[in-house]
Amino acid sequence: MVTFDRVTKRYGSFTAVRDVSLTVEAGEILGLLGPNGSGKTTLIRMLTGYHSPTSGTLSVAGFDTVHRPMETRRRIGYVPESHPAYGHMRVREFLRFMASLRGVAPSALPAAIDETVEALSLAEVLGKPIHTLSRGYRQRVAIAQALVHSPDVLILDEPTNGLDPRQIIETRNLIRGLAGRRTVIMTSHILSEIARTVDRVAILLRGELLTVRSMAETPDLEKLFLSLA
Amino acid sequence: MRTLGVLLRKELHATFTSPVAWVVSAVYLLVAGYTFSLSLFFSKVANLTYIFHQIYILLVLLVPVITMRAFAEERKADTLELLLTAPIREIWIVLAKYLSTMALVGGLLVLSFSYAVVLLLYGEPDMAPILGGYLALFLLASLLVSVGTFWSSITENQVVAASASLGTFLMLWFIDSIAYLLPAPADLFFVNLSILGHFTPFVSGSLFFSDAGFFLTGTLLALLLTTRALADR
Repeated sequence: MVTFDRVTKRYGSFTAVRDVSLTVEAGEILGLLGPNGSGKTTLIRMLTGYHSPTSGTLSVAGFDTVHRPMETRRRIGYVPESHPAYGHMRVREFLRFMASLRGVAPSALPAAIDETVEALSLAEVLGKPIHTLSRGYRQRVAIAQALVHSPDVLILDEPTNGLDPRQIIETRNLIRGLAGRRTVIMTSHILSEIARTVDRVAILLRGELLTVRSMAETPDLEKLFLSLA
Repeated sequence: MRTLGVLLRKELHATFTSPVAWVVSAVYLLVAGYTFSLSLFFSKVANLTYIFHQIYILLVLLVPVITMRAFAEERKADTLELLLTAPIREIWIVLAKYLSTMALVGGLLVLSFSYAVVLLLYGEPDMAPILGGYLALFLLASLLVSVGTFWSSITENQVVAASASLGTFLMLWFIDSIAYLLPAPADLFFVNLSILGHFTPFVSGSLFFSDAGFFLTGTLLALLLTTRALADR
């Protein structure tokens, strides 16, 4: 579903991502694990088309992210780390706006929004301006905008950052609930979050991919990480 | 086109619910109305030449305040990342921002047409310079809005965007002064960059394609540069 083929990203003389090759299967949940500055966000920003790779290729469902950006972006739902949303908009209005931008037909909008609202338990805040919501709700709205067009691939950048324990558990359950139905790529620098959420983990350090392991075959992620880092 | 409609609706809502837009509108209408009333009572002449130059100055000063938020606000709030990773072309985002700001500035110019209506009701004004003047103001507004939008697209700091826009507008206003120091034909180049030089003929009732072309070419160039600035990341 998603492939990274010898992807490198340089900013001047600084190399943020170096020669990363990786394949993510359909329905799989992949975690990108690494400390801050390891290249996780740069890697997924290249996948979303926000950045272009300096060399190498990335593809989603067989479409190249540089040469067929509209095809790849239609298949992606993306939640940036800061969970951005238009604060002045009401939740329903924001979801309608994002769904329309991502090509959901006007006749299909009500059903798409209702389905997403139910999946993320947003019914009670649907008519509220986003800037009045709690951090937990804002994070759910950010995930909702990424799912409202039923993308094949969901990309989450540090999805549990700044959440309280209950919200972390809810977010983890939500992501796990997508297993098999969506391809999910999430980044985190928290070992326990990755260990509990993903099917496979890719460990990055200073822009290089060190290893990719199945969680079923990795009983002690902390030990593995320390042995590599 | 549907994408442009979706983006434009969002931008119009953001523009017309912004307190900045209402404050700028109030300042514009207060100053322009005050100047019109005074000039009419003092001169008792049924033309708007003075008021057009007054509005010219108001646009140079106020457009940077309106355009500064266009992209800078989105960049700072990270919502630009949502737009730029959606399956839409950068040009639609730029056009939606430009058109929504033009709707506000154009609305203010339409409101100021009430001055022409007053002259028509109580005098016999020559309509050619009046209509030419309004056309010039729309063309000027188009250029200023597109340049202001460009500056907003390359920074996340709204004050920087407004300052850069104001500096550009003032330079384009006074740039022809340097022509006195330059030999021909270099002097002509700078004379032709002056926005006031291309604005004044309209107000006196003379319409030249070259003047209209200056404003339209400048607008297109600034919109193109804005699109490039968004795409180059």
